Amino acid sequence: MKTLLVIREQLKGIYSKYDIYITPVLKFLMTMLTLSLINSKLGYMARIDKGIIVLVASLVCSILPSNIIILVAALFILLHLYALAIEVAAVALVVFLLLFLLYFRFSPKDSLVVLLTPLCFGLQIPYVIPLSMGIIGTPMSVISVACGVIVHYLLTFITDNVQAFDAMDTDSELQKFRYVIDGILDNKAMMIVIASFTICILVVYMIKRLSVDYSWTIAVVAGALANIVILLVGDLALDTNISIGLMLLQSVFSLCLVTILQFMVFNVDYTRTEMVQFEDDEYYYYVKAVPKNIVSKTDKTIKRINTPKRNPVSTDKEQVHREAVKAGTDAIRNAEKRSLEFTEI
Amino acid sequence: MLNEERIILMTRMASFEEHEGKKNMSIGSYFRSDFIGLQIIKAIIYATLAFFIVLAVYIFYDFEVFMTDIYHMDLFAFAKQVLVYYIVSVSIYGLITYLLYTVRYAKAKKQLKVYYGNLKRLSNLYDKEGKRQV
Repeated sequence: MKTLLVIREQLKGIYSKYDIYITPVLKFLMTMLTLSLINSKLGYMARIDKGIIVLVASLVCSILPSNIIILVAALFILLHLYALAIEVAAVALVVFLLLFLLYFRFSPKDSLVVLLTPLCFGLQIPYVIPLSMGIIGTPMSVISVACGVIVHYLLTFITDNVQAFDAMDTDSELQKFRYVIDGILDNKAMMIVIASFTICILVVYMIKRLSVDYSWTIAVVAGALANIVILLVGDLALDTNISIGLMLLQSVFSLCLVTILQFMVFNVDYTRTEMVQFEDDEYYYYVKAVPKNIVSKTDKTIKRINTPKRNPVSTDKEQVHREAVKAGTDAIRNAEKRSLEFTEI
Repeated sequence: MLNEERIILMTRMASFEEHEGKKNMSIGSYFRSDFIGLQIIKAIIYATLAFFIVLAVYIFYDFEVFMTDIYHMDLFAFAKQVLVYYIVSVSIYGLITYLLYTVRYAKAKKQLKVYYGNLKRLSNLYDKEGKRQV
């Protein structure tokens, strides 16, 4: 445990020191991962399905505010869907516009969750999102997570029905339009997942706030269990064919991941180095405020020195040696005695 | 001579100004009623846009049926129904906006109060040092 705490403090130290480089690198990696996943899942427009485009977009996003990543991702999705069918792109545009007009202006910080939710679904760790948002978010995060789930299921529905879109008559634009809207509104699995994620977030949030020991751990475990129960009940009631084995496996994996995140990220104040400038009548101040680390890093190695116990074998040897010496001396004395007696005779 | 206490205070204040301060100061420059009123007007505009997008999707979904029915249906009743839906949805959205921005205004004012308190403290420190230029 001590080692983990030290690693955490070292990470904290590294982050506060090199935050100016780490944040853009993280943004770059996130954009790269998101756009690569979008390209691999959709990839209908060959022009933007290229490594160099993804690389340039990621580099640009790494120096811009994080909300720009969402706009770029939305643009990539819309372009791919436009290449597939204009009606499908129109429905996606409507969904994105509604999310933007009605919700994101309230909480622009939460909008990253809408990006992370489909991303975690793509990485097969969807339950990390409700558990994490229950810990670090507020009950309002339910809406962001629900929006993310809607975006994921919209994209999944489209990718699963590409052949159906191709088979439809090119003149029947309305048919494609209706097909996508029906696909979203009648998606029972999506409704169950939204309900389970909502309850999971609320359970984690409420338990986390209780003043009991290990409330965070209890909250995460209870949230994961609530999530599993609701998904199972929903599957039984609405027959959505959710793979139970996979769900349990993902839940356990997500639980482990959230526990690590909780220890390394959520519970730690990653205060950053502040670079501020101000002036008074006499001076210009260029201040770099570096946060103090609470636990000192242990770079020392502890050497344990034990006094060696007396070995019984060696004692025996010593005794034998002493006896031998004594016997030797006696023998010499006897020999000398005898030689003296001999000379006297 | 540099005063350490004063520099720490100034650094904290500069850091606040750079982060939450920017937003809070713009909120603090309004009267409560003006700020909340402006947000509600914005909310009405956004809700109106969203409502008409949903209405367009609704009409487009069954466009053929809608076009054949348009000659038979009571347009006045239809418009009335749409208006009722519009008023209800915009009112709910406006109410949510009102509640949310009331809380945000109170929070911003509270933080600004601390900031102005620090300004006063800073001013006292300058007075104590006798560096105030009159």
